[in-house]
Amino acid sequence: MLETIAQAVINGLLIGGIYALVSIGVTLIFGVVKIVNFAQGEFVMIGMYISFFLATQLGVDPIVSLLVTMPVLFCVGMLVQHFLIRRVLGLNDLPQIFLTFALSLLVLNLALMLLTANYRTVHTWYSDEALHFAGLYVPVAKLAAFVLAMVLSALLWVFLHTTDLGKAMRAASQNRDVAQLMGINPNRVFAVALGIALALAGAAGSLLMPFYPAYPMVGQVFVLMAFVAVVLGTLGNVVGALVASLLMGVAESLGIQFVGADSGLIVVFAMLLLTLAVRPSGLAGGRRR
Amino acid sequence: MKKPEGRPAPSPRRRDLLKAAGGVLATAAFGAVPLRGYAADPVNIGALYPVTGSMAQIGVGCVAAAKLAVEMVNEAGGIKSLGGAKLNLVLSDVQSDTTVTRTETDRLITSNKLSAIHGCFASALTLIASEVCERAKVPIITGSSSDQLNKGRSFTFTPFARASQFAQAQLQMSKLISEKPKVAVIFENTAFGTATSNGLKEQAPGEGVEIVMFEPYSAGFTDASPLINKVKASGANALFSVSYLNDLILIVRTVKQVGLNIAINGGSGGFVIPDFYKNVGKLAEGLQGVAHWNHDMSDEAQKVNAEYKKRTGEFLFEYAGGLVAQTFMLADALERAASTDPVKVRDALLKLDIASGYAAMAPGGKVKFGEGGKNVYGRPIGVQWQNGDLASVFPKEDARAALIKS
Repeated sequence: MLETIAQAVINGLLIGGIYALVSIGVTLIFGVVKIVNFAQGEFVMIGMYISFFLATQLGVDPIVSLLVTMPVLFCVGMLVQHFLIRRVLGLNDLPQIFLTFALSLLVLNLALMLLTANYRTVHTWYSDEALHFAGLYVPVAKLAAFVLAMVLSALLWVFLHTTDLGKAMRAASQNRDVAQLMGINPNRVFAVALGIALALAGAAGSLLMPFYPAYPMVGQVFVLMAFVAVVLGTLGNVVGALVASLLMGVAESLGIQFVGADSGLIVVFAMLLLTLAVRPSGLAGGRRR
Repeated sequence: MKKPEGRPAPSPRRRDLLKAAGGVLATAAFGAVPLRGYAADPVNIGALYPVTGSMAQIGVGCVAAAKLAVEMVNEAGGIKSLGGAKLNLVLSDVQSDTTVTRTETDRLITSNKLSAIHGCFASALTLIASEVCERAKVPIITGSSSDQLNKGRSFTFTPFARASQFAQAQLQMSKLISEKPKVAVIFENTAFGTATSNGLKEQAPGEGVEIVMFEPYSAGFTDASPLINKVKASGANALFSVSYLNDLILIVRTVKQVGLNIAINGGSGGFVIPDFYKNVGKLAEGLQGVAHWNHDMSDEAQKVNAEYKKRTGEFLFEYAGGLVAQTFMLADALERAASTDPVKVRDALLKLDIASGYAAMAPGGKVKFGEGGKNVYGRPIGVQWQNGDLASVFPKEDARAALIKS
């Protein structure tokens, strides 16, 4: 029994790490730029396909291809900010919502057209391997994804707290007008925020590739969980999103184990509603860090 | 009552005259085919397959097989009783969507003079298409396995095993692995998964198979580990997974990672297509499934498979192979009907009774339609992935390779 619980917690934490990469991106964009990026899942999908083609055409290990997907998606993020999001900032919320939603649909359907709906997998030497100890097992590919997700999250935290640009981003997220008065260029800060958020989505794609198939709709699977984590961990709070993602992974896994295999989402959303009922602004209680 | 077309109906006397004249002309024409100097009108066969959308992968293979089958019939001289008329394939993309299937079937029937239709691979789509065909009185022949296709239909023909028979075959196969099979059944929680798994549950006691776990899950999960964790805890020695391809890939990989030694039966559909092996690789070795058709089961099947492989680079999978046989069944019916009239083709299909040639490429090697358009000899075939190929291993009469117990 204890073994089963321990295994369920391990499984939950490992997948929670991937949710974290996606949700940190969403929460960062919301915190700094104040828009909800519905297309975040599609950028995970793009990251997966970049890794897939690098692996199958050039033999690059999907995890190593992170070195390509992250910069590429960073640039995509800057471009999206410069050519699309910048135009609708300052208008009311609706154009912003429709902009990212339309972007999501556009990218998704382009992928369906150009890449077809087929599932594509990359098989690496560690894809099916697992570490076994004390009756438990830890899949190597997922462990690698989890560790790197945590490293990237930590790097982001260090960046936000120690560099001038990072501090400027936090300042812009706390009060955009005051930040501007202090001489912070919002467009530059926003572009970097978008870049970082999309780079994280790209990283999630690369890290998923060794153990999850790529297909055009794949982003939708992860973005749903990411949105829940973002709200659960207080909108705009990076640490909150990380903690909430891990919690959700574990809750989902325990739900499947002890309630029923089709209850994963039920448990997660019940958790969300309960949290919102008790603490309407999320677990972090409205603090944005 | 209004006639749908603008032309006034001929008076009875005129009609009689026309009939008589037609008869004379027809006799003259058929009696002297070579003298006519032009080729007989082609016979239009509709083919409804999803070549875009989520089921496109399989639909594209179906279309390749449909074209191959028509070429084979035409090269062998076409329909001789119709003056060597060639089959003309009228393709339509049903886009993996039930609404599109309805409109496309309608459009295909109203804008072409069809003698018969085959399609649509997925039962959900075929059910819709067959309703439209029934109303329009055009026969449809399909490899889809839903038992619902045999209820209240009179223009629908299913020459292969039914879903209920698949469940029985899976249960019997589990007894080849262990004398006391303890089966864990996991299934995706929508119509496809629940219907199939209920079949397994209902028939298990009759087959003497114990089901130790019966668990629905939501398709498209991010992680199969919790589910497999549960299977492990159930103490099962066989796993039946009623899943879509994506989930199945994750399940098979996770079973390997857990180090669980369990015989997996993946059923049919996405499990018995070349793509499954491409995605899962060596881990697929030894996995079992059930199919309504397999490329190694007869000399004819192997011949068609060789040609299909030459064209597409992949082996002829279940559904595509079955529809080649279906095309030959239609050719056989057309030959005997000596008419392109869909109702006469349907009457000829009702009398179809064959045990040789390409039209008899079905497990058991015999086709005869009985009640509800079911092939009275229809039975599924048990298959196993061996060396990257799908080998027929069950039942004994159809087995072309021995079942590998791992």
